[in-house]
Amino acid sequence: MPHAAVDTVTLTIDGHHLTVPKGTLVIEAARQAGVMVPHFCYHPKLKPDANCRMCLVEVEKMPKLQTACSTPVAEGMVVRTATTVVNEAHKSVLEFILANHPLDCPVCDQGGRCDLQDFSHQYTPTTSRFIEVKRVFPKEYFSPLIETQMNRCVQCLRCVRYCDEVMDVKALAPSGRGTMTEIKSFLHHELDCEFCGGCVQICPVGAITSRLSMYEYRPWMLKRADTVCTYCGDGCQITIQTKDNQLVEVMSAQGAGRNNGDLCARGFFGYHVSTHPDRLRHPLIRRDGVLVQATWEEALELVAETAVRLKLAHGPNAFAGLIAARCTNEDLYLFQKFMRLAIGTNHLDSSARYGQINGVRALRRVQGTHRWTVTFEDIVSADALLLVGTNITETNPITGLKVKEAVKKRQATLLTIDSLEPAVGAISNIANLSSHHFSVHPDRFKPAVLGLIKAVVEDGHVDPTLAQRAPAYLQTISDSVQDLSWPAIEAATGGTPESFREAARTFARSARAVILIGQGVLRTADGYGLATTLLDLLLLTGQHGRPGCGLAPLAEENNDQGAVEMGAVAEYLPGPGDLSDPAARSRVAQLWKEDLPQEPGLTLMPMLERARAGALKAMFIVGENPVGSLPLSAKAKEALQSLEFLACQELFLTETAQLAHVVLPACSYAEKDGTFTNTEGHVQAVRHAIDPIGESRPDWEIFSALSVLMGYPLEYGDAKEILKEIRSLIPDYGRLGPAPTPMRPATEAVDGYLHTGYATDAADRYALSGTGHEARGAGNDGHLTLLIAQSLFHSGKLSTRSKGLLQVQAEGSLTLNPADAARLGLADRDQVRVTNNLGAMTTTVMLAERVPKGLVLFPEHFDQEARRLLTVSTDPVTQVPYYKLTQVTIERL
Amino acid sequence: MPKHEPVLLKNMLQPGYTGSLADYERAGGYQALRTVLGKIPPAEVTHMVIKSGLRGRGGAGFPTGVKWGFLPKDYTGPKYLCCNADESEPGTFKDRQLMERDPHQVLEGIAIACYAIGVETAYIYIRGEFALGAKILEAAIREARAAGYLGTNVLGTGRTMNVWVHRGAGAYICGEETALLESLEGKRGLPRVKPPFPATHGLYNKPTVVNNVETLANLPHIITRGPDWFASIGSPPKSAGTRIFCVSGHVKRPGNYEVPMGITCRELIFEQAGGMRSDKPLKAFIPGGASAPFLTPDHLDVKLDFESVAQAGSMLGSGGVTVMEEGTDMVWAALRLTEFFYHESCGKCSPCREGSSWLVQTLRRIVAGQGRMQDLETLTDLCQNIAGRTVCAFGDAEVSPILSTLKYWRHEYEALIRAAEADGPTELLMPTAARH
Repeated sequence: MPHAAVDTVTLTIDGHHLTVPKGTLVIEAARQAGVMVPHFCYHPKLKPDANCRMCLVEVEKMPKLQTACSTPVAEGMVVRTATTVVNEAHKSVLEFILANHPLDCPVCDQGGRCDLQDFSHQYTPTTSRFIEVKRVFPKEYFSPLIETQMNRCVQCLRCVRYCDEVMDVKALAPSGRGTMTEIKSFLHHELDCEFCGGCVQICPVGAITSRLSMYEYRPWMLKRADTVCTYCGDGCQITIQTKDNQLVEVMSAQGAGRNNGDLCARGFFGYHVSTHPDRLRHPLIRRDGVLVQATWEEALELVAETAVRLKLAHGPNAFAGLIAARCTNEDLYLFQKFMRLAIGTNHLDSSARYGQINGVRALRRVQGTHRWTVTFEDIVSADALLLVGTNITETNPITGLKVKEAVKKRQATLLTIDSLEPAVGAISNIANLSSHHFSVHPDRFKPAVLGLIKAVVEDGHVDPTLAQRAPAYLQTISDSVQDLSWPAIEAATGGTPESFREAARTFARSARAVILIGQGVLRTADGYGLATTLLDLLLLTGQHGRPGCGLAPLAEENNDQGAVEMGAVAEYLPGPGDLSDPAARSRVAQLWKEDLPQEPGLTLMPMLERARAGALKAMFIVGENPVGSLPLSAKAKEALQSLEFLACQELFLTETAQLAHVVLPACSYAEKDGTFTNTEGHVQAVRHAIDPIGESRPDWEIFSALSVLMGYPLEYGDAKEILKEIRSLIPDYGRLGPAPTPMRPATEAVDGYLHTGYATDAADRYALSGTGHEARGAGNDGHLTLLIAQSLFHSGKLSTRSKGLLQVQAEGSLTLNPADAARLGLADRDQVRVTNNLGAMTTTVMLAERVPKGLVLFPEHFDQEARRLLTVSTDPVTQVPYYKLTQVTIERL
Repeated sequence: MPKHEPVLLKNMLQPGYTGSLADYERAGGYQALRTVLGKIPPAEVTHMVIKSGLRGRGGAGFPTGVKWGFLPKDYTGPKYLCCNADESEPGTFKDRQLMERDPHQVLEGIAIACYAIGVETAYIYIRGEFALGAKILEAAIREARAAGYLGTNVLGTGRTMNVWVHRGAGAYICGEETALLESLEGKRGLPRVKPPFPATHGLYNKPTVVNNVETLANLPHIITRGPDWFASIGSPPKSAGTRIFCVSGHVKRPGNYEVPMGITCRELIFEQAGGMRSDKPLKAFIPGGASAPFLTPDHLDVKLDFESVAQAGSMLGSGGVTVMEEGTDMVWAALRLTEFFYHESCGKCSPCREGSSWLVQTLRRIVAGQGRMQDLETLTDLCQNIAGRTVCAFGDAEVSPILSTLKYWRHEYEALIRAAEADGPTELLMPTAARH
């Protein structure tokens, strides 16, 4: 893209002449000239506050010293940062800041990486003129994870400003006045917030520190490894710091990775899972019905021998494999290669099946891409953002930050269709920033989207070129939405025709529009169809195919996207290429020098069915836990118990692994090298921070060892060698850069879709019928819709082994609207019994304005009992299992 | 005693004047508003105010009409007028009287300003302690709305002028215009970094004018009697108009005196305020509120206008004149004022936050007979390191009592310290940095 003409300014800083964009702050210009102006309160992410007064510099023709952090450059400006006057000013400000500082560096966790220490070393004499009494704050308990030591605070308010400006949480506030100013949570209660750790990271001194590693280290003792977080699809770069092979802390440097140094609670405080005492340290073999410790040789040989025996007896298609999308690309790639070659079956699937595959398949269908056509940067610079079915601040918090930045800093218009209502609470709520919010029940996103499309068509917002390019397509959709009645849409969604019209106008007229969809779309019935329909919305409004515009399905797991691209799903080969596409097959076959199995692969749900029917004899499950994830009604346990042989490769002895005949201990991300592909398609390096726990081994190494024992050697020296092979199949793969290059829609694919592709299911996609499930009662009988939702503080079941996160959320409770609670005579923390025709569970209730009337939420991370109440339906096209919604009755115990 | 014709205090000095709408109208009130509304173009009103030479009465003395002119032209979005009624400067009590005794004069001024700058919403940010003033203003607003002087369709012209009273919560700093805006927005009252100035980025980031109560109260008179009349009062061109001086301290008749700017300090103190309360001569006075440096008897013939007072090394400030007689302990006086500033420092900027506590502790030590000669050096240094190094003018204000007393009465500090030294070395007193 050609660079737009930028106004520049030429100035002189300490004799360096430099030209910088207009609007640059002197402190940033100085940095570019290699001049570091000392500062505490300035931070590139925050609006200048100029409160510490440390960055005073001399500017020619200005009578007083100016703060470099708040002064924009001007043409011909002459700045001096090292004159006697400036040095004296720096010394004096530092003298003030140190006056009340306790100088307790020997017991301060920040010691050794403290700005105050560094500047004191540079500017102050070894003695102080201050002989008065230092101000002492009484010690107060702040929160389970975050410690404050207010005597060390320099009142720069970076924490407060970060919490407000970046996070939009506003949990912190300065309290008291003058020297008695201390940082507290509002009112007298312990901190109740998102626990993103941002305040800990941004504190220039040791005033706010992590309690998880308090007094455990001196910074210079720590070994650092830059790697990528595994708790969601955002793919945040983290630096894991270790001491003696123990995880001490996680941080993310300003400017690092796609997250630009920002993290969420999971990333910052959730790191102890890898060293949890329950980690599997040895292989286990079932002997006399009991899993007992075994050697690697015994375990691998048993798996290999059994596999060979069963393959001879029943053929390769008696096998199936399942892998978690938390694994690296290298693991995923080798797993599917192992299944397809060493075993010889396409019966393999990954956790991308739970929802991500819906987004990828819709993108491939309509525009021929398997990735987003936008990047995080495009989200930030979008003019209109439409969020459908995503509680983004909890599921993908860092992508959520990009949305917040777009709205708060760049005044983008936010449109939201979600079940959660705008309401102020302890954690940020994207609906609060929305200017067009449609609060609809989780099974009514489709009518809301259809309402938007109807308004687009009726109000003449349709791309004028479309009539020429795709008359039949346009006609079909126009006719379909005109057949829908506004009263019906309003009845389904609660949105008035006028509200849809306004939203449609804003969206259609914006210069750059991005649609983000989350689990509310991808993991709810009609997910694939609705994702496709949202691409129609882009096509109709002419927002499709333009740079910076597109549909962005949000990945739930860190490598959901990689799992699909590595071909670790039944229908795709690495690339991804369609298993049924001869060209794709031959390309892979050529590289592998081997024919690929012919029979189409089974996906997760049919696998379980076939296992239950006795047609599948063996399964190899890597890091996945269908018994613990799927509802009881899916009968995953029965299915796996019907197998002749089940091998599991795991970190922990999960519900699934407990059924296995052999359990192989695998390494966590903290112990291995490789790559993850984040939700926007950016491939990032994963580096080991600690040595493997116990005898655990990286997943790919285990596949490789098994293949050798099975007489089908897939040998690699290290993960990089696998990546090399991946690159030969997928050019550019793993090209590491500061930002990914977004994919462009393939014209051929779009034309194909507009010509005929749309028609196969257009009637279904544009019909209002079949959207609502059973009629919902809102009477006094306690009949409500239960949604199994994701919490900010957990990721799947994995994070429920993190001691840090458990301190924030240790158990599940049922969240409901205060009005419903009042109707049912319930108060906060009351015990309730939740029932439906499938079963019952007991839990406590929590009230939240965010949850709309008629809906109750329960976190999936603690859903062991809730899964009794759920039914499963399967997407007719993508076979994604849908089981997040059900109807329940609640009564007080 | 020369008699000066009062302008702003004129109504309330009439016997039986209650400040009600009826009284105000009988005294010719709201005629200025009728005059401008729809008859004089807004730009012309601004021009009249510029021509009158009216300067802000809050403390900084910025020309009012010029300030209005900084609002962006051709801007159609919301903009605001804020009447700064957070009168908190020690020794200053003129705005309170204007609001309590003749509220409609203030409201008419607000309405004229709203008209001139095209504002539909005005806020009166009133000091929290002025409960009575707030009540009176609110009642007056109700009266004015009912009579069509405020509200929608003002005097049938279709214009909207809504005035709201917002009570502060007890912070001196909220009299600083940007801290006032923060507080009005519901946030902690901390000064903002300028630029941008409120004229372009003010309340809710919208163009905003902040004017003092007395400033606004002058507007009806400028309209009624003309800018030339106004410009002829006082010591034009730089200090036109009258000024309400709040005289307090050791004088016979403390109170508010409205006089033309440019009369001498001597006339104000000895003729208007009746001179010293006892036979002790005048030792020191502050000419413009606690933020203004002390002056001495040598300065009694300084003219009370912006330039002359500045030239004498102090400032006209808020018009709060505090008089001290011979016998006043000037170190103690400096400490008392510094304690005020220590209590009120908002804590935003390091030099002011830490410096005010350091200064107050050192002064307390000196007053308590624990001083050391080098403390005077440190005090001077600290003051110089605070002044000019903070976001708002508070830093300059808080050092003025110390620097000016050190300048004129250094011997009193030295005497205290010498006496302490004569007593021999003592254990350092441990003052406590008590919570506010």
